[in-house]
Amino acid sequence: MRRGMTRTRSGVRAPSPRGFVTIGRAVAVPAARASVVVAVVTVALLVAAAVATLSLGRLGLSLADLAGALTRGAEGKQAFVLERLRGPRLVVAVGVGAALGLSGALFQTVTRNPLGSPDVIGLGAGAGAGAAAVALLLPGALPASAGALAGGAAAMVLVHASTGTGFRDPGRLIVAGIGVHAIATAFTQYVVYAVERDKATVLTAYVNGSLAARSWEHAATIWIVLLAVVPLVALASRRLGVSELGDELAAGLGAEPRSTRAVAVTLSVVLSAGAVAVAGPVAFIALTAPQIARRLTGGPGPHLTLAALVGALLLTLADLAAQQSPIPGNLPVGVYTLAVGGLYLGYLLTREWRKGSL
Amino acid sequence: MSTATRALPGGPGASRVGAARQASLLAAGLLVLALAVLASIAFGSHPTSAADVLDVLTGDAAPETATVVESRYPRTALGLLAGLCLAVAGTLMQGVTRNPLADPGLFGITSGASAGIVTATAFLGVSGPSATLWWALPGALLAGLVVHVVGSAGSGAGLVRLVLSGAVVSAVLNAYVQAVTLSNPRVFDSYRYWVVGALGGRDFDVVFSALPLAVPGLLLAVLLGPRLNTLALGEESATALGASPALTRSCGLLAATLLSTAATAAVGPIAFVGLAVPHIVRALLGVDFRAQIVFSAVVGPALLLLADVVGRVVLRPQELMVGVVTAFIGAPALLLAVRRMRGTG
Repeated sequence: MRRGMTRTRSGVRAPSPRGFVTIGRAVAVPAARASVVVAVVTVALLVAAAVATLSLGRLGLSLADLAGALTRGAEGKQAFVLERLRGPRLVVAVGVGAALGLSGALFQTVTRNPLGSPDVIGLGAGAGAGAAAVALLLPGALPASAGALAGGAAAMVLVHASTGTGFRDPGRLIVAGIGVHAIATAFTQYVVYAVERDKATVLTAYVNGSLAARSWEHAATIWIVLLAVVPLVALASRRLGVSELGDELAAGLGAEPRSTRAVAVTLSVVLSAGAVAVAGPVAFIALTAPQIARRLTGGPGPHLTLAALVGALLLTLADLAAQQSPIPGNLPVGVYTLAVGGLYLGYLLTREWRKGSL
Repeated sequence: MSTATRALPGGPGASRVGAARQASLLAAGLLVLALAVLASIAFGSHPTSAADVLDVLTGDAAPETATVVESRYPRTALGLLAGLCLAVAGTLMQGVTRNPLADPGLFGITSGASAGIVTATAFLGVSGPSATLWWALPGALLAGLVVHVVGSAGSGAGLVRLVLSGAVVSAVLNAYVQAVTLSNPRVFDSYRYWVVGALGGRDFDVVFSALPLAVPGLLLAVLLGPRLNTLALGEESATALGASPALTRSCGLLAATLLSTAATAAVGPIAFVGLAVPHIVRALLGVDFRAQIVFSAVVGPALLLLADVVGRVVLRPQELMVGVVTAFIGAPALLLAVRRMRGTG
């Protein structure tokens, strides 16, 4: 976007402006060509991962069957795999991944904190504790997702209240996150200790973030959240770009940095909460997707669309690994994202520190 | 938190606390500890009167009462040992890293110990705290080493940096632990009873088996006291005075790892004792590490035992594990302290 405004030395707008993608002579979309290429490649990879999710393994549909089933409708075993077993799970994975990626990108842009995302500062742990509370106190009366929503929201309120500076200061944010995380985890562990083993296993899988046995209702939930929030994000995105310049400049340019920040953080938390309600607290997608997106485009801040696409791709790939892994017991997808995300974060930290840029 | 940062040694205004004050504080601390021990013997999910307890202590009580009260001896001893280990480990770590957030849990040592224990239970057929202890040690040492190396890479030492590397290492190890426990029901069962952090249900065996790690750790800590004081003057002054900062630092971290591994393997991960006790002690005493280590060894067990007593009475007839109680007391205190933090980048 910024490059689109470059002018030639004489002050006349260049005939073929860089930073605009033109279609014919009439349409010019303001987007850096590099990020469009990256986005197209990401979508292609996402489609490939989706096809692999549906076609690999013992119950997978062969490519020909898959094409036939998608065009003419599926029957029998194919219908079961496509419509009950893997289809909804895939749609949930894409939705949850996109929501988390977007949530993290919003949060990082607005707090100007490259390590921030709602799940890192306690939303995930709070959601786990909420689900555990439901499992302990009201078994069967409420779905775990309702408890997760309430717990996640409570954790965010607690973090926000205890820093005294909102979500701005990375140091305070991290320490407050540690505190909230500690309370929530202690409670969850107590519940896992107190209930019988089968319940404890189910609860632990949920608390790690799992996509197992997700239905079309779950898919509908997360996609409705996305459809409701994405237009609002698009509306706010122009002001977000300005707010990244810093509070004073933003205020000077007429964008109110405080209200922008409040709106973006709220949208970010809503997206994360929606994802948590559907899949449980899946670790590290919200934190790493914007970082990867930023490195792919080389732009100054997280690229919102690309962060969402990368998030969707990451979670789909992680869930593909979770479904096809030879480890017995079908590990929840959150275990994979925790391991890989942790390693990536470690790599990122050491590299940034070596450069002295963090 | 900021007061603690400023109270860290090195400034010319470091306060001197008189010997008389130290002695009276120590006496008060020992008194509190003695009361905590008595409380730990007297209170439990099965109510016993003070007279009953006195009878048991003098040896003329009914056998049933004696059994109830005597069943509290091992957990009291375990609380003493674990509290001492965690508090001294926390003091060492905060002194060595000069980071007021340093704590075995935040530094990956606890996750390392967990990974070691889970590996031993799942793949080597080892079970019980006494046997898994020796598998916790390499895990904890390795994790602590990685956190330290990653956290001190590059220039400058940020307060947040070590915490972040601790979080990263803990995340990866935690993923491993979850993978192993969730794919193995037997391991999952023993893990969930251990990870919650409890003093109850353990014998004196556990106390004895933790001693080979705890005693050398404690000795090393006591020997390091004067060197830590020198280190607190700053890297350059310490070198000029003939001390070797790197050696002091490695020995300090080694001692802290030994101590916190002993505690963690014996009773499970217990949050906030290692973080909070050094702050309390510094607020009371000032900056002399020799005194800090002694006082941590008194305040830590008292705090842990009192937390355990709270856990025993608050949900009667059920028990709340001490690890849950310390988190519910410690975390709000941390949240209140956040507002006093100076801005960090």
